[in-house]
Amino acid sequence: MAEIAVPGDLHYTRDHEWVRVEGDLVRMGITDFAQDALGDVVYVNLPAPGSRVSAGTACGEVESTKSVSDVFAPLDGTVVETNPQLGTAPELVNSDAYGQGWMILLRPDAPAAVEGLIDADGYRAMLG
Amino acid sequence: MDGLLRTPLSDRHEALGARLGDFGGWYMPIEYDGGGVLREHRSVRGGVGLFDVSHLGKLAVTGPGAAALVDSALTNALDRIGPGRAQYTLCCDEWTGGVVDDLLVYLRSADDVLLVPNAANCAEVGRRLAAAVPATVEITDLHQRLGVLAVQGPRCDEVLTGLGLPVGHPYLSFVEAVWHGAAVTVCRSGYTGERGYELIAPAGDLPKLWDALLDAVRDCGGLPCGLGARDTLRTELGYPLHGHELSLEITPVQAGLGWAVGWRKPAFWGRDVLTAERAAGPGRLLRGLVALDRGIPRAGMTVLDGAGGTPVGTVTSGTFSPTLEHGIALALLDAGSTALDTEVVVDVRGRPLRCRVVRPPFVEDRTKAEPGA
Repeated sequence: MAEIAVPGDLHYTRDHEWVRVEGDLVRMGITDFAQDALGDVVYVNLPAPGSRVSAGTACGEVESTKSVSDVFAPLDGTVVETNPQLGTAPELVNSDAYGQGWMILLRPDAPAAVEGLIDADGYRAMLG
Repeated sequence: MDGLLRTPLSDRHEALGARLGDFGGWYMPIEYDGGGVLREHRSVRGGVGLFDVSHLGKLAVTGPGAAALVDSALTNALDRIGPGRAQYTLCCDEWTGGVVDDLLVYLRSADDVLLVPNAANCAEVGRRLAAAVPATVEITDLHQRLGVLAVQGPRCDEVLTGLGLPVGHPYLSFVEAVWHGAAVTVCRSGYTGERGYELIAPAGDLPKLWDALLDAVRDCGGLPCGLGARDTLRTELGYPLHGHELSLEITPVQAGLGWAVGWRKPAFWGRDVLTAERAAGPGRLLRGLVALDRGIPRAGMTVLDGAGGTPVGTVTSGTFSPTLEHGIALALLDAGSTALDTEVVVDVRGRPLRCRVVRPPFVEDRTKAEPGA
């Protein structure tokens, strides 16, 4: 199996989401480990902009040829935007999980809450 | 994956970076690194793919009256084919008519038959046959002594020709060949809906045969393919998978496999109960479902009537069709709800998914297509 990528500048959740801080907002997606475990992604269902999401609660679904998984919100907040490309090119989740395969741009209620997420070393340790 | 049986090629699958898992008690490749279900599926539809399907069972039935014994037990009429031909057939329970397994029969001669059942059911098929055999007929379990490789896709002939193996014989016929000292049975068969061959060879010869075939497949731009792609390929054709569309609780009449039953034969296991069910009409029937909106019906999901209220059946297999790029499924529907082109609703985790009832296959059957077509 190919080496699992865990970029050092991101925050992570136990549910295999990544979070990148962008000013007042955070961008999130699923990790390389998650996309590798899912296999070829064929549908991504995400909450509408303006929706409220709460940390650790399912807010979307990612479906592969083999199975379906929930997408969990990493933080409490409001959805600003979802990745418009995933409707027609869900394979971006596989090919570029931390880049073009991003899922949700979120305005967190408490920006400092991101510090409560797992850092790259912690996530690597979790993967074992 | 302790306790799982390994094929002669498990080391090679691991070296290729395959994701492996339990299938019928065997440690089998699901998909390969650099491939994935979608790429592997498309390599078979558009070029060629190589599968290790050595988990499939192999039972030799030999001795005077071997073919007659098989004919009196399994559903299909063996007199429809001659030596050198293979036939799809079913092993049913004598009393309920439920399907113990579906299998391929290779008729070598009246005294020499090879059965290829599913991995998980090989022992049970063997047990039931052994209980019925006369002293002259012997049943030998070759499950781990033979391996099976499938070369599938429009460019399959090029691959075999490159190895000097025989090609071009009719669909569901086989040729016995010798390749570098190994006895290889080359059958025009497969479970993908494409032109293809299945090669049966001694386990000890399988690694060198796999290596040569994989080189030739890669030269044609093809890929090694796992059971993930095999499943999406067979689902697009509406081919049944035991444990899903077939089981001890599902009869051939319900599964729409009456064509694989020799109704005029004097005897086969389940004949009386199946003949009665056929005459009365089955209470439920296997149909195809085409998703009309984004979403994938999955095995076990409930099918509701068009209004979305009343349960009318259950999904037995469902997937994203890589060819059609939408959800497809096979489902057992109550007799009153099987009309073609009507709309039903699948309960997908609490959300309604509208589907159209169809008769499979979902894609063109190209098993008899010319090479390269």
